[in-house]
Amino acid sequence: MNFDLDQEHLDLAGGARDFLSGSASPAAARAALDEGAGVRPGRAELIKSGYATITIPESHGGGGGTVLQLAVVAEQAGRVLAGPSLVNFARAAVLLEGFPDRLAGLADGSLAVAVIDDASPVLDAIGSDTFLTLRDGTLVCGPGEVMARRPIDATRGLGDVTLGETTDLVRDARPLWRKAERVGRTILAAEGLGAAARLLEMGVEYAKERHTFGRPIGSYQAVKHMLVDVYVAVEQLRSLVWWAAWAADRAPGELPLASAAAKAAAATTLELAAETVIQVHGGIGYTWEHDAHLYWRRAKTDRFLLGDDVAAFDEVARLAMGEAAR
Amino acid sequence: MDFDDTPDEAAWRAEVRAFLERHPPVPEQPRAWQATLYDAGFVGVTWPVEAGGRGGTPMQQAIVDQETARRGLPPLINLIGIGMCGPTVIVHGSERQRQRYLKRLLRADDLWCQLFSEPSAGSDLAALRTRAVRDGDGWRVSGQKVWTTLAHLADFGILLTRTDPDVPKHRGLTMFVVDMKAPGVTVRPLRQMNGDSHFNEVFFDDVRIPDDERLGDVGDGWRVALTTLMSERLSLGGGGTSIGPKPEAVARHVAAHIGALPEDRQVLARQELGRGYVAALGARYTGYRQLSKLSRGELPGPEASAGKLSGTRSARDLTDLAVRVLGPDAATGGAEWQDMQALLPGMAIAGGSDQVLRNIIGERVLGLPAEPRADKGVTFRESIG
Repeated sequence: MNFDLDQEHLDLAGGARDFLSGSASPAAARAALDEGAGVRPGRAELIKSGYATITIPESHGGGGGTVLQLAVVAEQAGRVLAGPSLVNFARAAVLLEGFPDRLAGLADGSLAVAVIDDASPVLDAIGSDTFLTLRDGTLVCGPGEVMARRPIDATRGLGDVTLGETTDLVRDARPLWRKAERVGRTILAAEGLGAAARLLEMGVEYAKERHTFGRPIGSYQAVKHMLVDVYVAVEQLRSLVWWAAWAADRAPGELPLASAAAKAAAATTLELAAETVIQVHGGIGYTWEHDAHLYWRRAKTDRFLLGDDVAAFDEVARLAMGEAAR
Repeated sequence: MDFDDTPDEAAWRAEVRAFLERHPPVPEQPRAWQATLYDAGFVGVTWPVEAGGRGGTPMQQAIVDQETARRGLPPLINLIGIGMCGPTVIVHGSERQRQRYLKRLLRADDLWCQLFSEPSAGSDLAALRTRAVRDGDGWRVSGQKVWTTLAHLADFGILLTRTDPDVPKHRGLTMFVVDMKAPGVTVRPLRQMNGDSHFNEVFFDDVRIPDDERLGDVGDGWRVALTTLMSERLSLGGGGTSIGPKPEAVARHVAAHIGALPEDRQVLARQELGRGYVAALGARYTGYRQLSKLSRGELPGPEASAGKLSGTRSARDLTDLAVRVLGPDAATGGAEWQDMQALLPGMAIAGGSDQVLRNIIGERVLGLPAEPRADKGVTFRESIG
């Protein structure tokens, strides 16, 4: 058994961390919220780096890599609240499999693609010009008009989309759609993992520095045990994200359960991490200038993307009981 | 990344499986079953050859554990001896002790127990009070141990005692091997809240122990005990096996009963199953990461404690759901799930309480400072006032 990242993955993660920590940051997320500044590193930079297009075949200008590789990068993107999300790239790469021109457009940035779900706000609608959705079982593609509302997390580019004239791409596309959604959920969970892991670091650092009653607050079990519960949740989420990504590449039969579990665990873990770390920081954690709320915003937003956590837990239960998911 | 056995692991697994298929255990003869397994080379797999073991890898042992669990076989009768007492004798025992005890322990010719906890020393083990006093070429021991699994059947135990109350508590301890049939040893079974009697109180009334049954140096008992506790972590580490019910079994049970529930209760039941199941999968796949370390030849660190912590929690949540889908009948029927329900509170206490495990992870994994100790730097005698 070798359920662990290989050296190649660790190297990839290291490179992605260097790139992303230099090109995105919680400060950029705050600026997006304050001033409506664009998300960082932004679509063009993400494409230029090659990270966004890892799962697009090499023959169409992508990296020809695996979902696991993309997940490893997505974790690093989540740590610094990078935008746009890698989720749409991952989903579109699956949905556009039979459309070389569009795939090439996705890979070279001439198409900015977002995927529209029925029940969720549209992730990275802002900045996208090409939309994919499922209409009566048919995968359709078209331009759309985006209306932004007042976002909780300005790094997610959420908007309402009114589709223009669409082209039918694939009939009977439901299985393809579900596969893409599951890959998307896996990458979303990987971004959540990175955000939650970064929050835990912030909480632990502060609990070592901050003193009350003559000792570091991290020595009090009331504080220590809260952070340990976050640690345990983060490590379990890491295991589920790796499993789901591995399943997407190697064991499609396991992907439904693994991706639903990863999505659900990401939603609850990121929320637990954000709320715990705000509490550990006390008053300073509740200020605009502190980074904690930027991650908290991510938690409160991401839980609704690609189906909410309630739907994901329900799907896990149905799959576990051997029922069809839908 | 893959979940497959290496070729060596696969060959070993096939060997274990083939043996288990040919040799069904006899539940009423647990000692004979352990001896059969030992003679085939499947007990004490990681122990050195000169200690009676096979000199194998932790991964080979994990595969034996997986295969016996897969067949629904109960744990070996001498599990505590194999997992904790024996490894302590291997590291700290004399040549005479190793020759005398180890092979017999592995074959279940002798059963062993671990005499650590006391009425006033559980999580704070080093506060124990059982006294050992020099008497010529030996020692005399008086005191009381508690929660001692298997003491009612055991032939020997490893016994942690206080030999010097006038130094700080961790420094005045000494470990012995004690003959459980010696005069002055009284074992009284305790009845657990689930009605079973697996653990005991053990009273020592002026029990004589020869000095050559000491394990390690006088005053070095804490270090010896740490060997035992580290071995316990390795043997309890999980490695992908479930604590409590298998989540798949809970899901089957819920599937069989959910149709009888009103619709709103079905929605709730699925939410609870989903939550419990995700937690159980998280613990399982985190266990696989530990197993991968073993497979590479690394030993699990303090992070392995997380498996027991989270596994216990999800087992309790899933079992609670399994009981509840039975409806009010659960109060009088549903024996299997009632039994599991009554077993699990003990899992959150035994082998390190949830709170102690959180301290271990917080301090050794996250690097958070320890809680100050009120008895630091004072002698044991002063600390108990």
